Amino acid sequence: MKNAFRSGAVLGAIILALVLAGHGPASAGQTPQAAVDVVAGEGCTSILVGREASTDGSVMTTHTCDCGTCDWTWRHVPAADHKPGSTRKIYHISQYKTWPPSEGLKWDLYKKDLAGLEIPEIAHTYAYHHGMFGYMNEKQVSIGESTIGCQRKMQNPTPAAKLDLSMLTLLGIERAATAREAIQVMGALAEEYGYGFHDDGEMLAVADPKEAWIFEIMPVGPLWTPESGKPGAVWAAQRVPDDEVSVCPNESRIGEIDLANKDFFMASPNVVSLAVEMGFYDPKSGKPFNFKRAYSPVEGSASSTNGRIQRLWRFFDLVAPSKKLKPETPNMDLPFSVKPDAKISVQDVMAMTRDRSYGTPFDPVQGIRGGPFKNPNYYRSTRVIDHGLAEYSTVTQSRGGLPDAIGGIVWIAFGSQDTSCYMPLYAGMTEIPKSFMVGDHWTFSRDSVRWAFDYTDFHVQVAYSEAIKDVQAAQKTYETDLIARIPETDRSALELYRKKPAKAAEFLTAFAINNATTVTNAWWKLGDDLLVKYNRLYLYNVEKRGMTRGQPATPDWWKKAVRAFDILMEPDKK
Amino acid sequence: MNKRILLVLAAGAVLGLSLLPAGQAVPKAGLPVLTTSAGQSTDVTTLNIVLDEAAITYDYCDVPTPEMLADGVGLGGRESGPGFHVEITTDLGKYPAGTPYKAVIFAIGASLKGMGASGLTLDAEEARLKKLIALCKQKKIFVMAVHIGGESKRGPAGSDNERMIDAVAPLADYIVVTKDSNKDGRFTKLAAAGKIPLTEIEYALGLVDIVKQVLQ
Repeated sequence: MKNAFRSGAVLGAIILALVLAGHGPASAGQTPQAAVDVVAGEGCTSILVGREASTDGSVMTTHTCDCGTCDWTWRHVPAADHKPGSTRKIYHISQYKTWPPSEGLKWDLYKKDLAGLEIPEIAHTYAYHHGMFGYMNEKQVSIGESTIGCQRKMQNPTPAAKLDLSMLTLLGIERAATAREAIQVMGALAEEYGYGFHDDGEMLAVADPKEAWIFEIMPVGPLWTPESGKPGAVWAAQRVPDDEVSVCPNESRIGEIDLANKDFFMASPNVVSLAVEMGFYDPKSGKPFNFKRAYSPVEGSASSTNGRIQRLWRFFDLVAPSKKLKPETPNMDLPFSVKPDAKISVQDVMAMTRDRSYGTPFDPVQGIRGGPFKNPNYYRSTRVIDHGLAEYSTVTQSRGGLPDAIGGIVWIAFGSQDTSCYMPLYAGMTEIPKSFMVGDHWTFSRDSVRWAFDYTDFHVQVAYSEAIKDVQAAQKTYETDLIARIPETDRSALELYRKKPAKAAEFLTAFAINNATTVTNAWWKLGDDLLVKYNRLYLYNVEKRGMTRGQPATPDWWKKAVRAFDILMEPDKK
Repeated sequence: MNKRILLVLAAGAVLGLSLLPAGQAVPKAGLPVLTTSAGQSTDVTTLNIVLDEAAITYDYCDVPTPEMLADGVGLGGRESGPGFHVEITTDLGKYPAGTPYKAVIFAIGASLKGMGASGLTLDAEEARLKKLIALCKQKKIFVMAVHIGGESKRGPAGSDNERMIDAVAPLADYIVVTKDSNKDGRFTKLAAAGKIPLTEIEYALGLVDIVKQVLQ
């Protein structure tokens, strides 16, 4: 037995040596600097589910707002009527910029950054809920987002580009009653007034109760001027088939486009000509024009990048394992969308936003990577969907067969998805919880919902494999059970709506605010409980108040790994 | 005739040329040129695209040191690595490796994200720029400062962006700014105080003709 341990330890030492020397197993290596022309931020993931691919007929989008240091606050903007001749001010809104709470809140202070443009206002703007982007309006138009990058010479950080992505989504969601209309509104405004400044290649998941579209937009280079007469943006949109699902993990997803098929494709008038002009596409090549290959090419696969770009393969493998897609397949050859093996529920989608690629070749806790308590945040070499970076995550549901005020829901989980809890905001609400509107990364605040979730998250990190079970029990109570009660809530709202829509709005507002308050308080308490339970890495039985303290089990493999490391380091001690 | 004048005026409005004081011409520097960033914002990418558009070859480095600058064209053979980017497009037939630079163009614009990616703090970036410009002065290399980020990328006195302006603009031999970068007249005052030629342009596109005049 001793010999067996010894040889195991030596083997472990060899493996450790290889890892330390940078020759570890696939997922342990550094990201190779392959010939990647476009490096989008390794940020947000957006999932789309067509209405016939979901269990309840809802069209869904998601956005894991993976930034790490951005603003997380939300607002509700009421509907408004505007007098003829009135104008809409345009602001430069940086996704990253925040202000100290002492100076005020982002969604008041951003108005200091006028873009120097006012555009004609429309007669009526819809009510909507927004965070970093517009997410859901009173017509159930919903949006998710993922940064995809673009060819370098397309970037336009100059002030000639008046519209950033956040501003564009606010305009789209306040002006559109359908997903198609939102795409047309955003595309047309970007063409006319120029797109870029703070942003470059971006993808939006745009949905309504009938359809889900991937909309991709990019600047046209810093030398564009409005006087040129040329569009100030290039964009394309492709509809996800109703019985299929798709995803955008920071990579352009739109390939060949068939503009004759108007039910499935839309694009700006320069969609091909710009690529020719900039030298990204040669019509004489004999190959059909391909949007992503021209404007946002990304080389490699999940395997060839050691998991850096594995989310695309992972998503398809999660929803359609029967397709047996291979992680070695270059991402640009993976399909635009797939029909899932089974219809997908809102809870399934929430679980996907929490995915850590466990059990795959890119498992972040394989071997000793997660430490004794299998913490996936210890070794972030592979980019998983839940990367612990999220300001918040959203899952939108646009549901036909219900009045828009009731049919539209945006579920929000603040902080890292694995330790958070999705809370619903209905489209017809007239206000949102106050705790959603305040807080920033640098000032702890008990008034901010986000800090309640970070408070719990912090205490989970200590003994992750144990503490996450406590969180999952709370998620069962406050998320799973609530999802099960949604049909009942819908029915109650519908009864009120039939009598008087305003009563339904009041009911839904009160319901969502009460739920958010309950969940937030539960997470503050959960954080307290975890602190006590795992205090100083012992295991306190808080119910029995026993005098002996247990210790979360340290697995044998971890003890062996420690021994192996000791052996490895022995020569250094001499 | 009238139509022609209108066209000329319209072109002038777009390009925004010649706001130099009366009698002052666009300064001449010549090639070879090095482009770099003061503050690591993406505005340096715009600058490089401007040079591409003007068909002017250049060397680019995001964080050159005085030693690299002193090595001249080719930057001593240094290659890109993590947090360090080099691009050599200079015509080596015309300007062989090691040829001293005649001009350095700084694209001013602070980005904490960009500085972070280059492993720089604001203080370190400021110190680097000061040393670099000191060497330019010593070697009589023409310093051109460009601010094309606009009003939104400016900031209050003492802010990141303003410190980058302070580090470069007062020591420049020529300043070019977009009009909305100079709404508060800060560059006009700096130029007047240092007797530095200043040109305001409407858009980044206006820089294309200017770099042609300065460098060719």
